[in-house]
Amino acid sequence: MSIAKGPVLMFRLLVLTSGLLPALWLAWRWGQDDLGVVPEEAMVHLTGRIGLALLLATIAFSPAFRLTGWVGIMIARRQVGLWAFAWLCAHALAWMGLEQYWAWEWIWHDMQDLPYVRYGVVGLVLLVPLALTSFRRVRQAMGERAWHWLHRLVYVSAALAATHLWILTRADYRLPMLVVAVVAALILFRLVDAARHRQ
Amino acid sequence: MARYRYPVIAESEVTPRELFRQRRRFIQGGAALGAAALAPGLLLPSSAYAWQESLADRLEGDLPSRGFAGGETLTHRKDATAYNNFYELGVRKSDPEVYAHKLITDPWSLTIDGEVGKPGTLALEEVLKRETLEERIYRLRCVEAWSMVIPWVGFPLADLLKRHAPTSRARYVHFESIHDPENLRGQKSSILDWPYREALRIDEAMHPLTLLAVGMYGEVMPNQNGAPIRLVVPWKYGFKSIKAVVRITLTEERPVSAWMEQNPEEYGFYANVNPEVDHPRWSQARERRIGERGKRETLMFNGYAEEVAGLYAGMDLNEHF
Repeated sequence: MSIAKGPVLMFRLLVLTSGLLPALWLAWRWGQDDLGVVPEEAMVHLTGRIGLALLLATIAFSPAFRLTGWVGIMIARRQVGLWAFAWLCAHALAWMGLEQYWAWEWIWHDMQDLPYVRYGVVGLVLLVPLALTSFRRVRQAMGERAWHWLHRLVYVSAALAATHLWILTRADYRLPMLVVAVVAALILFRLVDAARHRQ
Repeated sequence: MARYRYPVIAESEVTPRELFRQRRRFIQGGAALGAAALAPGLLLPSSAYAWQESLADRLEGDLPSRGFAGGETLTHRKDATAYNNFYELGVRKSDPEVYAHKLITDPWSLTIDGEVGKPGTLALEEVLKRETLEERIYRLRCVEAWSMVIPWVGFPLADLLKRHAPTSRARYVHFESIHDPENLRGQKSSILDWPYREALRIDEAMHPLTLLAVGMYGEVMPNQNGAPIRLVVPWKYGFKSIKAVVRITLTEERPVSAWMEQNPEEYGFYANVNPEVDHPRWSQARERRIGERGKRETLMFNGYAEEVAGLYAGMDLNEHF
């Protein structure tokens, strides 16, 4: 099957933009002192939201491919997944530096004591093996079966991220409800799709 | 009145307050004349802006000022008026300032009823006329683990309560905020059961630190901070300090506050600042002082233990959170 190079390139550029542009936007607003009264807090929240949005987008690439059949989506999936991972790492660093101000004993204390931190940390740690095995050579060495099995962890990670967001929300649950709905829909699609393939 | 150390605008750029008010009176006068010319029957009532005018005049004068925050640096006024919770105006920290104009504060009246010998509903200017105003610098600690140091202007709640002669059955004081879902966007959603309600035990309400505030930073209370009249209980988490109060009811039974109703596991009746009793979802051991880098250790009763610990002698503060 031949792939039209032009659209694929365009799509990869779009993914690059959606990973990079928020960083420029945040840096600009930080520089302009436009992140509100507590910019540190805004940084932690925004990196988390961008990372979560990209993580959900990564998972959504698979149903998008199933529905459209366009190969460009699968070519760009690794890229968007790595952007999500990078943003969620930035989120963890922002929490350590701008929320905890590198107070290690408190970072350690809160990781052990606060459920929402625990869920967040586990969700991020689960993404590490996925990022490490995202290289084509590693993937080939692992074999497709093992690789696909391992990468189902992304659903667990997304569910943990949704839980993390749910727990730390106070009073207004519109955003966490939306996230839970999206995660549930993505998991449901995956299950239905798998069941259909088995038949 | 204390001088503050953050000249946001050069002194020379600022219109002198008296001149500004003269202009405003002139414009209001003009508007009234215009209205009268168009519709003589709708002549503005003389009470319009009455409480604001007379309060602003009193704030001009020398009010006694006392610090109760250990000399800690005041939070910048622009931070204290741009970052807070006032869910009636929206759930984001920036919403109260953005939607401040939606809180209609004039005319305003205050009802005092329940277990009192002299109940009544008074125009706010009548209430203020009776009281001696003073400035109090207090720490404010939010249940969300951030804090500020704010110079409030107000009078002890006890002064007002005594005027209405609480009966021997008055064991609690219940407060109710404005209910105006037409204008207050937050009250269109069901995040809380509106109107906002809070309560104190009578001895907490009568404590000399408990304030009814009508101003901050030497000026009339900004809408976003709970104009025209709000409670300030400095040793309790901020949500106890109910804003835009319209009704004070003395009761025999312990009232249920809006937050207790929303989530009884997380928000107790007392809500005393206590670094040793964590919120179920986050730690209360430290706080972010707005405007500072790093975290501060939260003080027992927000630093007012000497004054208020006696109120809770013998109580298990883990149970009565």
